[in-house]
Formats: sequence, C-alpha cells, structure tokens
Amino acid sequence: MGRLKEKQLLEMSKPQGDYDLCCYIVMWKGEYVAKNLVQPLEPYFANVALADPAYDVKDIIPIYYENLGLVGGPKGYLAGPGAKLYGLPYGAETSVLAYRKDIFAKHNLAVPENYDDFLKILRVIKDKEGIGALTSRGQAGHQCVHAWLLHLNPLGGAVFDDQWRPRFNDKVGVQALKFFQEVVATGPAGIPGYGQGEANTAFLQGQAAMYLDSTSFVGLVNDPSKSKVVGNVGWALHPRGVKRASQSGGLGLTMPKNAKHPEAGFLLLQWLTSKAQDKAVTKQGGAPIRNSTMEDAEVVKQYPEFVVFKEALKYSNPDWRPIIAEWDEINIQALGVAVSEALTGKKAPRRR
Amino acid sequence: MNDNTRTGWLFVAPAVVIMLVACLYPVLSAVHLGFYEWSMGTPWSEAKWAGWTSFQIAFTEPSVWRSLWTTLKFAAVSVSAEMVLGIALALALESNLRGMAFFRSLFILPMMVAPIAVGLTWRYMFDAQFGLINAVLVALGFAAKGWLAEESLAFAAIIIADIWQWTPFVFIMVVAGLANVDSSVLEAARIDGARWWTVTTRVKLPMIAHVLAITLVMRLIDAFRVLEVIYVLTFGGPGESTEVLSLHIYKTAFIGQKLGAASAISVLLLVVVMVLTWLALRMSNPMRDNEGDR
Repeated sequence: MGRLKEKQLLEMSKPQGDYDLCCYIVMWKGEYVAKNLVQPLEPYFANVALADPAYDVKDIIPIYYENLGLVGGPKGYLAGPGAKLYGLPYGAETSVLAYRKDIFAKHNLAVPENYDDFLKILRVIKDKEGIGALTSRGQAGHQCVHAWLLHLNPLGGAVFDDQWRPRFNDKVGVQALKFFQEVVATGPAGIPGYGQGEANTAFLQGQAAMYLDSTSFVGLVNDPSKSKVVGNVGWALHPRGVKRASQSGGLGLTMPKNAKHPEAGFLLLQWLTSKAQDKAVTKQGGAPIRNSTMEDAEVVKQYPEFVVFKEALKYSNPDWRPIIAEWDEINIQALGVAVSEALTGKKAPRRR
Repeated sequence: MNDNTRTGWLFVAPAVVIMLVACLYPVLSAVHLGFYEWSMGTPWSEAKWAGWTSFQIAFTEPSVWRSLWTTLKFAAVSVSAEMVLGIALALALESNLRGMAFFRSLFILPMMVAPIAVGLTWRYMFDAQFGLINAVLVALGFAAKGWLAEESLAFAAIIIADIWQWTPFVFIMVVAGLANVDSSVLEAARIDGARWWTVTTRVKLPMIAHVLAITLVMRLIDAFRVLEVIYVLTFGGPGESTEVLSLHIYKTAFIGQKLGAASAISVLLLVVVMVLTWLALRMSNPMRDNEGDR
C-alpha cells in the first residue's frame, strides 16, 4: 500500500490525470489537500443534475465521515469551522477485541474489560494455553506505531498535546509501550516482524487467543478457506483504559483535481458508497460505512458481531492519531524506528 | 588525427552521445535537485532553493551514515558469499556431463524472479510461526527463530535472500568465462603434473580474472542499489537494522517528501559506488595487463 501513495502523487500532479477517482489511506488526506491535489465534494452534492436524492449522506457513519472525509477545521483533519468534505469512506474501520471463546471457556477466563485485566490475562493465556495471547502488528514503521497507538489512546495518551507540543514520551506513552512489550513477550513468536497480514494469520491459524485491531478482519475470520477458528471467535469492545476509546481509519475515495471526467467520477463514487452497494459489499465480507447496513436485519443475521461493532463506534476516536500532512514522516521514520527498537529490547521505554 | 581515426570516431560517436546523455543527464539532474527543497506532488515552481543544506545533511546526518554502514556490511557479506558460491558451482558444473544443462537452467531461475516476489517469498519462508526455514530447523532439532523480529537475524535474512537470488548471476558469468579458457593450456598444465586444485587456482581462475572482476563490480553495484527485496522483507527494521542506503533514500524521498535531500544522499551513494568500482577494476584490469605484455 505504501507505494500506492507515490504513484498517486505522480498521477495527481500531472496537468491532466488518468484517474477520475482515487482510493486513499486516511493518513494521506491532509497531505493531498495541502498539495492541492484533490477537490471538495460539496459542489458535486449540491449539483442536482449529479446528486442522487436517495443517497442520504447522513446515513454514513459519522465518525467515518469525519475521519476519512473532512479536512480543515481547527485541527486540520477533524470536523469544525472551515472543514470541507474531500472524500468518502470506502473500507473504513474501528478497533475491537476478538477472542477465542473455546480457550476462554476452557480456562474459565473473563473477557478483559479494562487494561488492568488485559495485562493480567496476557501472561495467563501464554502460560496455560501455550499459544500466543494477543497477536499484533509490530514491523518497524507504520505497523508498530499503529499497534502502539491502539493502546496509547484508551490509556489517555496522545502524540501531541493541544498546543502541538510532543507528549508521546510522557508517563502514559511509556505505559503503553511497556504494555506493548508484554504483548510481544506473551504473543505469537515474531511480532516485531509482523505486518498486518502476519498478525491476522497468527489468529486465523489458531496461534493467538486474541486479536485487537480493525473490524475489517471479520470477513476473514468467518471464511473457512482462510480461517481455522470459524465459530470459535467472540467479539468485545476495545478494553477500557482511563477511557473507552477505539481507533478510526481505513480507506476512502476522493476525486483528483486533474480528473478528466470529474462528473463521471462523482457518479461512480456516489454509486460505490450508496446504500445498496454498501450492503452488497458488506455481504461479500467488506467493511460497511453506513448505519443502514450495520442495522440491516439480513446483514446482522450474517454478522451478529456487528452489534458489538456498532457499540464500538460510539467510542471511536477520530483524533487517536494526528493525521496532519507531516504524519507519514513522524509515523514511519521517527516513531516507527523508536517503537520498533523498544520491541526488540534495543532501547528501554522511558520518559524524557 | 588521421582519416582512420576520424572515421572510427564518427562510427562510435552516436553511441557515445547516447550513452553520455543517458548516463549523465540523470546524474546532473539529481545533483541539481539536491540544491532544492521540493515535495512530490507540488509544482516545480514551488521548489525552494536550499543551497548546500541537503548535501550538508547527507554528510552529517547520523542516520545516513548508519544506513551507509549497513549497506557496506550487506554488500561485503552478500557479494563475497555469492562470488565464492557462484565460482564453486560453476567449477562443479562446468563439465559437459549428461543432465548438466538441466542443472544450469535450474540454478539461474532465482535470478529471473521479480524482486518483489523474492521479498514476499522469503517473507513467508522466514515467518516465525509458519515459515519453511523454522520448520526445517525444528525438524533438525534446533529451536525456531524470530527471523524478522531480531536485528541480527533480520540482517542475516536479507543476506540469505540476496545470496539465493544473485549467486546464479555469478555462476553464469563464471561458466561463460571458463568455457572460453583455452583447453590446450589446461592440458599442458596437467601434462606438467598439476592437479585439480593447482589447475583451478593457478590456471583457470587467473585466466578468467577479468570476468571475475566485472562480475564483482556488477554485483557490488547491484548490492548497493538493493531496495525492493528489503522493502518487502523488513522495511528496514527491526529499528533501522536493515535500512540500507537505497531504502533510506526511498524513505527520505517518498515518506519524508524531501526530494532534494534524497537526491543529495543519492549523489553520496553514487560516489561510493564509483570509488568501489574503480578499485575493483583497478585490482584486476585485463587492459592494464595486456598493456604490460606489449
């Protein structure tokens, strides 16, 4: 996915592009807008000749709408005065805890409700069951930072304070990193080298008892051709730290400024994110972006875990990472090296 | 300049001009870009003159020197191993026995695989839980390793992948060189009582020294430019333990969006490769030897 961005930057900086629609990772939205490469969508929705009256923008899950779509506002990447819509979610996600019901029942374990219980249960599962307790991403760069921020957020930490001063290495930052080290120590072997694929595989192949990451995982978990744990997986909210907080992120669709056929691009965007398409994609294992899909009786029957996912969305935080234009560099080149070195034990987590 | 010389120059002039443009333009362009601050996706008109700043960063930034050191270690170990293994394989398979053609074809397969596919394949092979390497280790009674999770093992992993892919290149070059060795010279050495080891080390290898030198140079240049396999296999981690200079340049350019700084570091890489190439060619230069004979 990383190399997609450089291709998109090249494409969108040409006088006239070859693409009318572009799929981006949430972290790139600020940079694309700052470089004047994508266009706001409001004028298209205001165009009665193009906008579908049945589209229902308000049905799009608000946290995804804000996280994936809005740029501007007081912080630059959240809602508020000045924020404009530059994209729509298409494969958005929040974080939930997946756990092996059979293993928890076998050892009479309760699903961790908070981070104290979470910390305790890691060692218990490792000792009693002999497999990894919690699988996790851990590869240097974006992967390990993503996993660390998943813990930092509910524990009450943040990368910057309200004045944009770095605070990631405060007491809470160290606490989150130490928790992550325990995840590595008690998890499936090799977490510091795991990308998202390896982290998922460890759970799907029965080498880890818990998974804490994206809701988009559910399609794989329920697919017998890819998962050995079908029918044995329970879902719960991201455990509470000082607060309940789950992540928000994923993919969105945007329209390059140099699009050759912008109207056609908008129509496709509108169709792809429509109610009917969202339901159809979700039923094939995709991640829903609309409340109507999450609440649809047919969909909920197929994915009973959507009840938990909908609850998790109440606590989803669009500000769990600062997706400013410079975030990629901070994320991958600075924090991504330091967190990785803490995971391998080369450096110790400590306050500065 | 006589007519013959002039005619000779006229014949080679088109090729020389094309080579100069094709080789020099990108280099000069990189040097030029090194003097600007420019972010990808923005118009060139927004580029800011930065003077020598990027070059200063290239020469003073610790992460640049760390990645250069990693590259030197990577190139030294992987290219040495490839040369030794490639020569050994070529000597073993140079004879025209039945079935040798099949083995020769088999050995060059890794070289034909796209680097991204090589990275992905080895990533699966080195997987701590499900990888083939650990399965073999466990079957032999050894403990499984977190290949991509520990700094020293991850470094070993990128070297193993490189050796697997590029030893066949050395093999092909050496086989081609050996095929051109005059058999009468070998026969004469044997009649004089030289055994296999003596014939190999005193006759065969010295006679293909120029082929070995060119092979070494080409492998060194490639080792210094290695990117895709490491990008997929480790992305430079854990920490920065496998971040070679080309990956550092990639990250500076496309993640940090500092194209000027990336160009300046590229110039540093170019200088290092040119110096190494010059040294390697100087150590075994057939033209120089021939000049000495005259």
